[in-house]
Amino acid sequence: MHPDTVLNVENLKTQFFTEEGVVRAVDGISFSVKRGEILGLVGESGAGKSVAAKSILRLIDNPGEIVGGRITFGEKTLFGLEEGDDGEVRQDEAMLSNADMRRDIRGREIAIIFQDPMESLNPVFTIGEQLREFIEINREMGKKAAREEAIHMLREVGIPDPETRYDSYPHQFSGGMRQRVLIAMALACEPSLIIADEPTTALDVTVESQILDLVADLQQKYDTSFIWVTHDMGVVAEICDRVCVMYLGQIIEQADVDDLFYDPKHPYTEALLRSIPRPDETVDELDPIKGVMPEAINPPSGCRFHTRCPEAREVCMEVDPEAKDVSEAGERLHRAACLIHDDEFGADYRASTPIETSATSGFGTGLASDGGVSGGADDE
Amino acid sequence: MSSEPARSISDDDDDIAFGETLVSVENLTKHFTTGGGLLSLRYDATGGGFPFRTHSDRVRAVENVSFDIKKGETLGIVGESGCGKSTLARTILKLHAPTDGDIYFKGENLADLTGEALRKRRREMQMIFQDPQSSLDPRMKVGPIVEEPMKAHDIYDPDERSDRVRDLLEKVGLDPQHYNRYPHEFSGGQRQRVNLARALAVNPDFIVCDEPVSALDVSIQAQVLNTMKRLQREFGLTYLFIAHDLSVIRHISDRVGVMYLGQLVELADRDELFENPQHPYTRSLLESIPVPDPRVEGRRGVLEGDVPSPINPPSGCRFRTRCPDLIAPDTYEMSDAEWVNVRRFMRAVDRRTFTVTDRAELLAEFFDDAYPDGEAGDVTDRAIDNVLADEWETAATLLQERFAEQSICALREPSYEVEPEHGTNQHFAACHLNADD
Repeated sequence: MHPDTVLNVENLKTQFFTEEGVVRAVDGISFSVKRGEILGLVGESGAGKSVAAKSILRLIDNPGEIVGGRITFGEKTLFGLEEGDDGEVRQDEAMLSNADMRRDIRGREIAIIFQDPMESLNPVFTIGEQLREFIEINREMGKKAAREEAIHMLREVGIPDPETRYDSYPHQFSGGMRQRVLIAMALACEPSLIIADEPTTALDVTVESQILDLVADLQQKYDTSFIWVTHDMGVVAEICDRVCVMYLGQIIEQADVDDLFYDPKHPYTEALLRSIPRPDETVDELDPIKGVMPEAINPPSGCRFHTRCPEAREVCMEVDPEAKDVSEAGERLHRAACLIHDDEFGADYRASTPIETSATSGFGTGLASDGGVSGGADDE
Repeated sequence: MSSEPARSISDDDDDIAFGETLVSVENLTKHFTTGGGLLSLRYDATGGGFPFRTHSDRVRAVENVSFDIKKGETLGIVGESGCGKSTLARTILKLHAPTDGDIYFKGENLADLTGEALRKRRREMQMIFQDPQSSLDPRMKVGPIVEEPMKAHDIYDPDERSDRVRDLLEKVGLDPQHYNRYPHEFSGGQRQRVNLARALAVNPDFIVCDEPVSALDVSIQAQVLNTMKRLQREFGLTYLFIAHDLSVIRHISDRVGVMYLGQLVELADRDELFENPQHPYTRSLLESIPVPDPRVEGRRGVLEGDVPSPINPPSGCRFRTRCPDLIAPDTYEMSDAEWVNVRRFMRAVDRRTFTVTDRAELLAEFFDDAYPDGEAGDVTDRAIDNVLADEWETAATLLQERFAEQSICALREPSYEVEPEHGTNQHFAACHLNADD
């Protein structure tokens, strides 16, 4: 592993075993996080980004299960499941036990911040006590020292009058302030990685911008790496260094933030960027992505985006491309999973016949597509 | 139900021409009372008799809002949560009874209408809600859902209705075959289309849309917004479009109003508002939105603190407690730099965002380039002494009373017309910075 790499995820697969069938929420994703960078994990609802984030900390509950892949964090193996030569799947011996995960990793080495701060805070204890207890346990401090550290952290994240606010209960805080408390809690043990799962989605824009500012400052100060899960391309542009774009359980593109916005190499990323209204310019007609994301329970064959892709050809229905580096010589690493890059994939895309999809056919078709599942029918 | 034959709806005799005022809202106010009941009993022996009084607060959700909406246009209302935009929408349709003020629809004051007369008027005004799921009855099929308003208002012949439903489903981008499906079989975007079809069923002139696309994914959002624009052109609709997302507002609106804590702080043509914002709150909002472009350098975190409670809003301009441009009180002689420092110190004391041990440290932190003299200097001196003596409360009160509350922003409610730079329509800005002096 590269010395600058904090976390490495290889071919991670997480599935949910439901009555209707197996939902392949995360289906073989690979990425790494470097020291001090903010990596964006972006996608629409149902893309699997939250499941991916939770899988890293092995926070997947029944009926979900991580069924394959390897997650390494520094020297430690957070998860490892490998197929031996005999076809038998066995756990890596170095894989941490549940107790190790709980004691040494979660909170201490990797912290996580959720979208709804009220879910992570206990309503019957004061903010200060929760933070103090957390510091006391994880940093093995005395009660008094932990209390002082807690007040220091509250001030650090911009809670006004922290000595008094220490004794407040979560419901006495506004949404933005609660999220600040969680950031304080995440930073309290100076972890090397923080996973932020849509932490600003429930907040108003002015509060969101305060939080983004705060995170940018603290990230500089503590040199923490972040995995920032979001659906908002604006937030991505604002704070991320590198971005992974997810679609239906797969990472379809991975690039530096500037390259992703100015030179997208996957039709989905391109379409996504074209479909968002801009706050800084007036656009008359939006160019939406046609159709809706299919269910992960029964994903399309071949490339999963081919049903909505304006560039889809016959070969896209057969080959499921794995993300490959498609950058030109001298450019930064830029991975994309699209057969359109014939030189890298060699699937004879150019010779293949274009197919009719909800994106290429005109208005009105594809409406009655009976997916057999709820919401399976296409939008406009 | 009436026994007269089902009416067609072409017999409107009060048609308004495009560009004329369709809806006019004047000084609309909506207060809610909270509390009351036994739990709020307070001991109070001053009035004689039974020594307990119930205590209730008034939440000033919407206060003194006025604007016109012209036929065929989209008026966007934007604001953060709790600013009163949804209450405003509901009050305009009289889903809440207004506390004060008038709502004119086609020249008729809805505030005076009740019962049957109001119900009839409601045919011309429809509403679309944020959550497409909970606004559709899960036990009804889509066809009957869309048909219901026609029944309720007794328009079209019963056999004509189902044809019209199929027609409408197609118009909003659904398959007419979906007539016999249940809402749960549709995706979020499609459900919002069903809501659109239902709103259109009675051929309204005016549709109030309360965050219609906020619950949808970006790519689906764009589809629904495009459909809404197309339907507006096709049916000559007028929209009041409520949203918190400035990008969506910019895309859909012809004119935009910005609300803060129950009041309209700015109202102008779309391009005028986005390119030439005059109210500091509008500017802060615009600067706060993350732009989906990594090469745009955002200036963020412009606003400090949280929105005050609408139960006891600040006097004068309600934004003044957070305003980055709070005007200096004219009772003191202060240079701009001095006032900037005093203002920053005042807010920091109020919010207790710093710790301090000695005077020199404090001066270096807040007043390194300018320190007020004269009376303003005396007040600041006393406040600093209080802070050093750990009497934060006293210092905060002193600074508030002698500075913040002497500002014109606290003394008078602002209301100004600004000369627009884009277009010729009215540009209203509720900020004293726009006063001619």
